[in-house]
Amino acid sequence: MPLTRRQLFPAPLALALAGCGASSNKPAARGRGTADAPWRIGMSQCNLGEPWRVQMNRDLTAAAAAHPNIELIAKDAQNNSLTQRAHVEEFGQQGVDLLIISPKESAPLTRPVAQLYKAGTPVIVLDRAVQGDAYTTFIGADNRKIGEAAGKWCANILGGSGKIVELQGLMTSTPGQQRHEGFRAGLALAAHPELEVVFVADMQWLEPNARREMESALATQPQVDLVFAHNDPGAHGAYLAAKAAGREQDIRFVGVDALPHEGVAYVREGLLDATFAYPTGGAETIATAIKILKGEQVPKHIDLATKLFTRDNVDAGGEALGA
Amino acid sequence: MNLRELWDRPLARAWMAVALVGVLGCCFHADGAFFRWPTHRDMLRQVAVYGLLACGMTPVILTAGIDLAVGSIVAVSAVAAAKLIIFGGVDPVLAAGVVSLGGLALGGLSGAVIAKFRVQPFVVTLAMMVLARGLAKQLSGGQKVTAYAAGLSPTEATGLLTGLDTRLLGDQLATVTAIMIACAIFTWVLLRRTRLGRHIYAVGGNPEAARLAGVPVGWTIFWVYAYCGLCAAIAGLCQAAQETQGDPDTAMGYELDAIAMVVIGGTSLMGGRGGVGLTVLGVLTIGWLQKILSLNAVPEASRLMATGVILIGAILFQRRKHA
Repeated sequence: MPLTRRQLFPAPLALALAGCGASSNKPAARGRGTADAPWRIGMSQCNLGEPWRVQMNRDLTAAAAAHPNIELIAKDAQNNSLTQRAHVEEFGQQGVDLLIISPKESAPLTRPVAQLYKAGTPVIVLDRAVQGDAYTTFIGADNRKIGEAAGKWCANILGGSGKIVELQGLMTSTPGQQRHEGFRAGLALAAHPELEVVFVADMQWLEPNARREMESALATQPQVDLVFAHNDPGAHGAYLAAKAAGREQDIRFVGVDALPHEGVAYVREGLLDATFAYPTGGAETIATAIKILKGEQVPKHIDLATKLFTRDNVDAGGEALGA
Repeated sequence: MNLRELWDRPLARAWMAVALVGVLGCCFHADGAFFRWPTHRDMLRQVAVYGLLACGMTPVILTAGIDLAVGSIVAVSAVAAAKLIIFGGVDPVLAAGVVSLGGLALGGLSGAVIAKFRVQPFVVTLAMMVLARGLAKQLSGGQKVTAYAAGLSPTEATGLLTGLDTRLLGDQLATVTAIMIACAIFTWVLLRRTRLGRHIYAVGGNPEAARLAGVPVGWTIFWVYAYCGLCAAIAGLCQAAQETQGDPDTAMGYELDAIAMVVIGGTSLMGGRGGVGLTVLGVLTIGWLQKILSLNAVPEASRLMATGVILIGAILFQRRKHA
């Protein structure tokens, strides 16, 4: 069969790409950590389509801006593992002094990250892990601990007695499963016989779904004392449903994530009773990066502590809970 | 008219599907919740955005076309409305007008490319789906556009943005539902009482014959997609009002729900046969089905499987013809 123009098209493209790779093969000069020759830090974010990750990049950029001796180069993999793998390779070609990566998924990114690390570039893995131990340090928060903190707070605020609605994040996702497990462990239903989870639904992290599920909960449950949603948009959706039913005064609303313009703002305005931060770790990451670049030792695993925001402490910046 | 003739009418079959779902609701009524009007009022609120999209989608499908961009146009409209009203201080009515024209223009652009260059609607609207989603992210900077970000309190935001998220008729009907009903009636008039409506059926039935009969095929196609874009923009306004924000990631995949509702109603994907009355019944069928599954707190996995099975059943039911 003769080749058509369409079939031929990828060939020159591949050649061009191969050419680029060959020409930029020698690594660029490394930074020295001065304002003239700053350390260059490559940052690969898996998906800037999520507000929490946009916030993470903002926190990283803000923290980096305070240090003239580093330069942050941020890239967005748009939820594509192979794009992210290309980022890692590109940063390697560019000869960055340190890589920060928040991987989309562990399996496809473990090898590229390990190659870069073994070639001598320090790597900070943020929020989601890679397999093995071929990286400098992992920085992340623990969803299970956050769920547990929320569960304990809810059991306590209800005085050990009440009817609870749990609006879950996507239960096929690890954060959803861990927040759920932690929440149930924190509630300690066995120790609180008066405490009951009366309605459970998967709202897939989405506010419109949370509102729909909460409407169903309100239609079937004459008494609801507290709603725990696995994220703040879910809690907000539940609030809107309760408000439309005229029952928002009887119910406490608790969420997770505590983004400044989302959960924290909802608490400040009195819509939610509490939200538990899932920290982005922006400031800690930059501080750790500088330590590594200066040659200091850092732990292999850095656990980010959650923060509790309630109406009483929101203006004071929340209350840090132990990691 | 005997029973068999009645059974031959698509409208009668669509009513039967609705009735069957109704029976399902009566069997699984969740402690009587299905027998209370607020349950149905909330269901009608929840399907309003989908219903608006389905109303716009009906004329498109009647021309044997498809519009995959409506979910993205909802997002870009929600973001634009929130941006104009919250940050631009634009009068909400004026903002609604601007946003509606924007939707009309985006839909019209798809229609113009399809009509002028005779490209497959699937491909053109797929491109528009991606383009409009990008536009939504560009306008919003990747973050949800909320009153909190502008430093306004929710009460101010309620006045500005959520005027559509209210109820009419002594709290018995959501305003967004009324908008959907108005849109359905308008679409019915458009299809059944205007020249454009006759042209739409002619183009869908047999484009070549229509062209020979002097129907302006190109213009008909242009207006069909423009109208679909307009409906999507109105749906976007309703979505923003209900979420009290402009979320660039909202309405992901809504186009498929809208298409499913049109098809469940009995409008043929091959074009030329069907109508908006059928679509309304399709909207009710899916809306009630979701409500019943939600009321009974059916787990997500079973819910998806049940929805799939029931949709296939409904479509086969629609297709059934006596020998």
